Amino acid sequence: MPECKGWLLDLFEDSEDDVVLYIIARDGRRLRLHTCFPVTFYARGSNTELRTLWRFLSSQSPKPVLKRTRRFDAFTRQDETVLEVQVQRAFLQRPLFERVAKSFPHLTFDDADIQLSLRFAAATGVFPLAHCTVSFDEGDTLKSISPLEKAWALTPSRIPFRVMTIAPNCDPHRTLPERLEIDCGRSHYQLSLFPERGLLVNLKALLERFDPDILLTSWGDTWLLPYLLETSEKHSLPLPLNRESRKEVRWQKERSYFSYGRVVYRGQQVQLYGRCHIDRRNAVLWDDYGMEGTLEACRVTALPLQVSARSSPGTGISSIEILTALREGILVPWQKQQAEMVKPASELFLADQGGMVYQPVVGVHKNVAQIDFVSLYPSIMVNFNISPETIINDPAAENLVPTLGIGIDNSITGIVPKSLKPLLMKRITLKKETARLEAWDPRRQDFARRASALKWLLVTCFGYLGYKNARFGRIEAHQAVTAYARELLLRAKETAEAAGYEILHMYVDALWIRKEGGIDKEELDTLLEEIQLNTGVPIALDGIYRWLVFLPSRQNENRSVPNRYFGAFEDGSLKIRGIAARRGDTPSYIAGVQDRILKMLADWPDPAAAIPDIIQYLQQSIRLLKAGRVPVQELLVSQQLGRKLDAYTTLPAAARAALQLEGIGKHLRPGQRVRFVYTRQKDGVYAWDLGNAPDPAIIDVDQYVKLLIRANSEILQPWVGSEKDLVARLFASGGQLALPRQPKAHPALHARQPPANPCGALAIIRTI
Amino acid sequence: MGRTLASTTQVLLHEEGALSRFRRALRKSDQQALDDLFNAAQQHLAASAYAAHTLPFETFLLSMLLEEHKEVMRLRQAVKELQEMHA
Repeated sequence: MPECKGWLLDLFEDSEDDVVLYIIARDGRRLRLHTCFPVTFYARGSNTELRTLWRFLSSQSPKPVLKRTRRFDAFTRQDETVLEVQVQRAFLQRPLFERVAKSFPHLTFDDADIQLSLRFAAATGVFPLAHCTVSFDEGDTLKSISPLEKAWALTPSRIPFRVMTIAPNCDPHRTLPERLEIDCGRSHYQLSLFPERGLLVNLKALLERFDPDILLTSWGDTWLLPYLLETSEKHSLPLPLNRESRKEVRWQKERSYFSYGRVVYRGQQVQLYGRCHIDRRNAVLWDDYGMEGTLEACRVTALPLQVSARSSPGTGISSIEILTALREGILVPWQKQQAEMVKPASELFLADQGGMVYQPVVGVHKNVAQIDFVSLYPSIMVNFNISPETIINDPAAENLVPTLGIGIDNSITGIVPKSLKPLLMKRITLKKETARLEAWDPRRQDFARRASALKWLLVTCFGYLGYKNARFGRIEAHQAVTAYARELLLRAKETAEAAGYEILHMYVDALWIRKEGGIDKEELDTLLEEIQLNTGVPIALDGIYRWLVFLPSRQNENRSVPNRYFGAFEDGSLKIRGIAARRGDTPSYIAGVQDRILKMLADWPDPAAAIPDIIQYLQQSIRLLKAGRVPVQELLVSQQLGRKLDAYTTLPAAARAALQLEGIGKHLRPGQRVRFVYTRQKDGVYAWDLGNAPDPAIIDVDQYVKLLIRANSEILQPWVGSEKDLVARLFASGGQLALPRQPKAHPALHARQPPANPCGALAIIRTI
Repeated sequence: MGRTLASTTQVLLHEEGALSRFRRALRKSDQQALDDLFNAAQQHLAASAYAAHTLPFETFLLSMLLEEHKEVMRLRQAVKELQEMHA
């Protein structure tokens, strides 16, 4: 019987072969194996209804295997009697379950809608991208499969993927591209979009010759693949995008949804069979952790690569918990019916709180240390065993949650800590390894990106614990985590104050502390050890600031806000939170100027000394704007649409730009970004995606000058005073500013050459 | 994530809003003093939230008093230093 070692690339259900697996063999072959994979779901409810269900299922063809058994329910914390329904072919489970759920709406179902890859990983230990051994017969039927590595392996084996990169030469949502840039192996190709037939013939030849495992595209979901498929149909020339020739590609519609107080847009998806399509523009967090992080997320969540690349970290964490539950034989609820425990109002006051957020001492501070708990919330869940099934409603319990009248049952380890522990350990180890590697080491980036993928999963796990509809979410567990977090932060505060430190600010898991006479590193290490001892959770030094500024509120300068600060560490690097340069909608020119000003501040031991230079630089930047020497691209504002266009009563700038696009047939959904420039025309804006570049003469330069001054006034406030004071200083030598002359040497000019096409730049010259 | 109760920050804003008629009828100089008091309450929002008091306005009043007393202590110290200088 043939046997080989390789990596599981993809697996999916199939009407003929039931479950199809694509394996990248070590010897370079690509194997298509198939197997019959039985899947199980459970039903519970009244005996009468279960008997009717039994009769209903017995009459089905093929008849599933039925059994009365007991399984553990995490929410009732006991074994429940259930009807086990084992469907012999995975492909048949979904349609059968849909019929059952419709006919028996009063029954409770578990394990009913679980992704095939998770069931497969739970049953065999082989997850997508896992290194494994397979044996199969001559008919390519899988006989056995076993893993050669775990998802938690620190350095997973390197997979010899064949990757083909396809990208249009420009943003297709703005202008129709002329050609496709294709990279495969060491070869680079340029295929013209026209004639269409030629493009199809050449692309087909490339796909057949190179036979890629991964199709890495730009705008593949939203433009490229739909365009190619449409063209191929038009010319009746099939394009082998799928490796499965019998199957059509898998489409998923675009959607907008509400999450964490804002609307999120997900573009339509095109997924392939036997080959993975990843659209860099539609993949989740691609800019943050790239291919390495995407592969890591796929491994640990056990979701197929194409799915995990497009899923939020929340779906990822949910998958990890489902996998743990499947392995432990715990029921995975289909539609959860879990209400919050009844509690007195006084307890609700104590429980319904988030992390502890202080109001910092506004102003400039010198020699400040920032210390952070390491992955505080996940650490709390793991260390204190917080999970839906470990929470007990007993104020007399042995392990009480601080200030809340609930306890933790430590006789069992919960699903959530069990799922998170390896994730947390792996992230901490990866971070430590990254810190140990030399800066030139190529593994550094790989480790850092994979650690980032794990970080996002850990960040989301807390939110999912409190999400009522999450499979293993429970409000009390969520409240217990924040109660512990507040307690630990206060213990850290007390420990630091006892050691003679002054607390400038505290924010959920971080403290900013200062000491008379400066910070001594050895003394600080002792403090960190003491805090760890008092809290049981590791805490680390984020850095010591040479100086740090806590900014007041934008609306009221007499009030402080918790998350608007910036400062320079001892090595001169900056940390910036909540100011214009970090906001997604700030035009890149303004963000660039602000970044440079921050660097100028950081270059001086006493930032006040940099102010004269900064004022001069700001004057030059304003002069550049007024002289029309800033490329229009750098003035683009990019804002998200918060709602549907007809739902606005007064139209903000973004909606006015979206309306212009509507006029030329480009429809935007809530959560999508609109790019525009401010103009002096009727609408006040010009949508960038209208196609043609706007006439430079219509740009509202004054508006940009205003934005530039406002953005920089917020960071210069401690040294210059209010926006009015800054304007007064900027225009004190107004005569000089009024001259439309070229600046001698503008730092930004080194980075930005004037555009070759003068139409792309502002050509307007205005005087004050 | 959704919350059942309004956050302490929201409660403070609400209380401030509820006193807008009171504030309007004050002299301008008195309005400034009232604003200072609310700024003082805002400075201790974290403590007010953690206290989880049934009547949060009481903790706001206490925060105002606390800042007032800090100011008294600061002034007392300044007077003492001045007296010592001139003694």
